[in-house]
Amino acid sequence: MNPPITRRQLLGGLGGMCGWLMAQPVAQAAKQVVQKVLVSTLAPKGYDPFRHKWLMCFDIDRCIGCGLCVDACKTENHVPEATTYFRNWIERYIIRKPKAGSGEARGEVLVDSPNGGRDGFPPSLVPREEILKSFFVPKLCNLCEHSPCVQVCPVGATFDAPDGAVLVDPNYCIGCGFCIQACPYGCRFLSPETKVAEKCTLCYHRITRGLQPACVEVCPTQARIFGDLQNPIENDPIQEFFRKNKVNVLKPDLGTGPRVSYANMDKEVR
Amino acid sequence: MSRFRMPPQILRLVLLTLVIISSYFVLRMFLKPESFGEFGHYRGAALAERAALEPVFAGAKACAECHTEVIEVQDKHEHRRISCESCHGPARAHAQNPDVKTTAFAETRCLRCHAQEPARPITQKQIVATDHYEGKCLECHLPHNPKESPP
Repeated sequence: MNPPITRRQLLGGLGGMCGWLMAQPVAQAAKQVVQKVLVSTLAPKGYDPFRHKWLMCFDIDRCIGCGLCVDACKTENHVPEATTYFRNWIERYIIRKPKAGSGEARGEVLVDSPNGGRDGFPPSLVPREEILKSFFVPKLCNLCEHSPCVQVCPVGATFDAPDGAVLVDPNYCIGCGFCIQACPYGCRFLSPETKVAEKCTLCYHRITRGLQPACVEVCPTQARIFGDLQNPIENDPIQEFFRKNKVNVLKPDLGTGPRVSYANMDKEVR
Repeated sequence: MSRFRMPPQILRLVLLTLVIISSYFVLRMFLKPESFGEFGHYRGAALAERAALEPVFAGAKACAECHTEVIEVQDKHEHRRISCESCHGPARAHAQNPDVKTTAFAETRCLRCHAQEPARPITQKQIVATDHYEGKCLECHLPHNPKESPP
């Protein structure tokens, strides 16, 4: 049988409960103050990320390698100027003719991207008559469905936004660089200014205002196709793109489920 | 019947464990950002913070608000699908305050797209600048209507 509750125990218990109740509002207030100091929160206005699904696609046959997209991205997103930091870039593929008697269908594959293609491309060192074919491939974040960069982030600073963009929270990122190692497409870099991981955000500040990403805005040949899968417009460019082209993705065998699709892509493109 | 008494050293261990676990939850309550977990395992407010950045490019619609007559000309010719800002540079500052000029249009912009390059698609009009004409593009071509010459 339990011993009866003593007066001391009862008073102690009641006092504890009173203290706990009184501490509640104080704790709430303190929590709010701490949060205000640590993180500034901005409530989203008028843009519901669950009602959009953004996607960018490329038509390789239309890209002329002018580099306006790379230049626009650097300007729009204040990407560090150095020639090693890019959120998007263009690669020039040059496939040589096979050597006579080699029994091969195609020769050596050369890929270059001087300054990411930002200043255009200098004339190739391969003489024209030795080139079997040549083309440009614009690249950016592949918007993977199973993003390796998100899986490896130890602090939850990079994430798949509900609207299809893969974003980095610069206030949360600790700059460990795991995601940069994890991205099989090389789409990320560690910013020398902020020391956090940076990547293509699909110009998140533009698409949430109803504008197109800067690279899409300046592309003179409509090689970049951008649209909202959840709200197709009349003659939707994305729907037309998938209807008219044979499309493929980069490195499909890795299981990352890249959503960015390429039309007219050669097998040599990696 | 002997009452079960927890050995004091075990009791202390249990209490210490409880204190450590509960202090984790108390700390978490204080340190976890308000919007963490709103959409997933990340800070929901990060979306709005990204969206709050200022654009630099205005978009062709903003240009069309004032420069209708230029766009009418451009719409009838080869360069109709090219955005104003492809050649004239970022214009949001100009759209908000017309006194701020956009980057001056430079003729090197023409060769960015029209210089001969084996990787370019065959449909793209390409020239070898030295063979075509040594002078300036704008002596013979109007950028908004490239087949016409300036008067």
